[in-house]
Amino acid sequence: MTTPLLEATATIPTGRRRPLARRAALLGLSLLAAFAIVGPLLLADPSAQDLSRFLEAPSASEPLGRDDYGRSVLARLAHATRLSLALSALCVATALLLGTVAGILSAWFGGWIDAVLRAVSEAFVAVPALLVVLLVSALASGGSLWALYLGLALAQWVEYFRVVRARSGLVLGSPAVEAAGLLELGPAHVVRRHLWPDLRPLLGTLAALGMVTSILAMSTLGFVKVGLQPPRAELGLMITESFPFYDVAPWMSLAPIAVLFLLTVCFLALRDSKERS
Amino acid sequence: MTDPRPGDDLVIHHAVVQHGTTTLADVSDIRLEPGRPLTIIGESGSGKSVLAHAVMGTLPPELVARGSMTIGAVPFDLADPTGRRHLWGRSLALLPQEPALALDPTLRVRAQVAEGVAGWRPRHPDASRMADERLARLGLTEVGGSYPHTLSGGMAQRVAYAAATIGGARILVVDEPSKGLDRHSLDRLADLLSAHVREGGLLLTITHDLELARRLGGDVMVMREAAVLESGSAERVLTAPQHAYTRALLAAEPSRWDFPWMRGVAATDAAAEPLVAAESITKSYGAAPLFEDVSLQVRPGERWALTGPSGAGKTTLGNALLRLTSVDSGSVAHSRATAGGRLQKLYQDPGHSFPRRVRLETAMGDVVRRHGVEAGRVGSLLEKVGLPHEILRRRPGQVSGGELQRIAIVRAMLPRPALIFADEATSRLDLATQATTMDILMTEVEDNGCALLLVTHDTALARAVTHHQVRLGSPDDVDIRSEDPVAVS
Repeated sequence: MTTPLLEATATIPTGRRRPLARRAALLGLSLLAAFAIVGPLLLADPSAQDLSRFLEAPSASEPLGRDDYGRSVLARLAHATRLSLALSALCVATALLLGTVAGILSAWFGGWIDAVLRAVSEAFVAVPALLVVLLVSALASGGSLWALYLGLALAQWVEYFRVVRARSGLVLGSPAVEAAGLLELGPAHVVRRHLWPDLRPLLGTLAALGMVTSILAMSTLGFVKVGLQPPRAELGLMITESFPFYDVAPWMSLAPIAVLFLLTVCFLALRDSKERS
Repeated sequence: MTDPRPGDDLVIHHAVVQHGTTTLADVSDIRLEPGRPLTIIGESGSGKSVLAHAVMGTLPPELVARGSMTIGAVPFDLADPTGRRHLWGRSLALLPQEPALALDPTLRVRAQVAEGVAGWRPRHPDASRMADERLARLGLTEVGGSYPHTLSGGMAQRVAYAAATIGGARILVVDEPSKGLDRHSLDRLADLLSAHVREGGLLLTITHDLELARRLGGDVMVMREAAVLESGSAERVLTAPQHAYTRALLAAEPSRWDFPWMRGVAATDAAAEPLVAAESITKSYGAAPLFEDVSLQVRPGERWALTGPSGAGKTTLGNALLRLTSVDSGSVAHSRATAGGRLQKLYQDPGHSFPRRVRLETAMGDVVRRHGVEAGRVGSLLEKVGLPHEILRRRPGQVSGGELQRIAIVRAMLPRPALIFADEATSRLDLATQATTMDILMTEVEDNGCALLLVTHDTALARAVTHHQVRLGSPDDVDIRSEDPVAVS
């Protein structure tokens, strides 16, 4: 019999191969989040100009120096990080909720509900995500936060919808759910005990990736000046604004780039370790 | 190194296989002669498969083998897994268990068989021709161009046999060939194995199927807990066993069962309202009809068996009766007594019938709450099926198949069912476990006055457990028979 063979191979602890990467990613994210939450409370107003201190170099009182209008780069960075994290978390949460509910409905009821939802999702897939955001932004007045939020959420829900629909189809067709039906345990049991435990790891991975996509999309739009408008502190905008001065004040462009880089790397590392565990 | 010649014996002088400090197999002096097959029988975990892999040199790396064997005059060290590699396919071949999983799903059957030809080169016409000849001899002319997933279990088994033996190996090790095969396919395989022996081959078969051991003849060895309990000629061991364990093993065959619930069956009331009434139902998949115009009524307390070869539509008919599958025409009516979760089903693979990532106690807790099961009933049922309550703290994947099936029985009993549909519920278990599991199930069925719908390909099991049989053959040949309850005295 295979039993002893299988048991022998099954008891070898596979373990988490990269606990260090996961811990580092969590630490990095909590530091950035703390900076984003506490920074704006303690630091100066990000739009307070002091033209006499224009392009001031970093010092003990002003660790990242001042920009071309004499605004504190550190204060602007804290506000920009808060904006990036909060807005992308909101977008991901909305897209996740919308996509998951639609995906489960589609797999559960099938028929015309499935057909309609699939058609809508395919229409979204056919248009590049950034174009969706641009279209929504164009409809709203320039640089509105709401337009950006709506655009990013709409561009992302399709991903959750497709994954959840495919996975739920498998789970709902399994003998375990058939048995639950014969035991008349009801839809709440099926969602709580069958669907949710199965979808949770997938959604975690997708959400970590979604955060990266949202943050990068937001700063990309800011960078090409179609997203949020100055004087708002935003990572992409800060990078563009600092470009003319890169030779005299490199700290101005390096600071937002470093934050963007750290955010991306941390979320990606988190996703990797989730996939392995 | 000299290769073994025809006519050589294989002798295992001594073989020990260990995993850590646990000994999985410890045997000595096993002789395999041309023309005299050797069959090792025993329950799951008795170490028989491990022994076969130790002979082949295909043990997983975490298992350690010690000992020696000789083929003819050539000695081999069992601790050295690489020393026998050059024999594989040429003189030593393994027919693995679950051939459907052993075959490469991305390779067509012909190419897969051709790979075993001596001196094989990619896309060489000679190898393909030999593979075709080989397949034709096994009655598989049609399947050369198909992929393994399109084959039935029996066909996949014969393809695996063709692939394993095309290299001309004289020593054939067959590991658990009966898993998931119906009687007819198993008979065909037994014929192939017997032909191999008649042509002067050496055959070592590992199985828990006593019927197969009987058909192959030769010698039989009974293993339990890593050691050989008894060995001798098949006629002697299988008719007049010396060891108590062998006697128990033989008694575990359904045809020899003698359980209290088999006797004194209360006459069921023919006038009672049927729990399930099917009225000329028909079902087909694509153009192929599975069954046509079947009518049958299951009354309270009746025990029905649906039998037939694999692919005959037994499970589909059972599902149709439970209204889990829609029918093409006809109707299935359920009586009021079946409302509220009082139709229950046991699955062939119980691992798939529980939520995979949730602890068993959580899953059971939902059932208890939904059906208002009185406190302590889960505990007392678990005690009756011989399981500790702590087992519920595990997840389904952490419990063995036999134990999980018993937990599935407990779960099915919680809503006090009027009818239980057991879909091949014991076909993946070994004989001894099958007997205990069936005994537990039928004791519960009898205590609760529950009706039973049993799907099985094992006619002996169907005869032992039920009084009414539906035999599915071809679509227009559905034989519905009610036997008088046989009183076993």
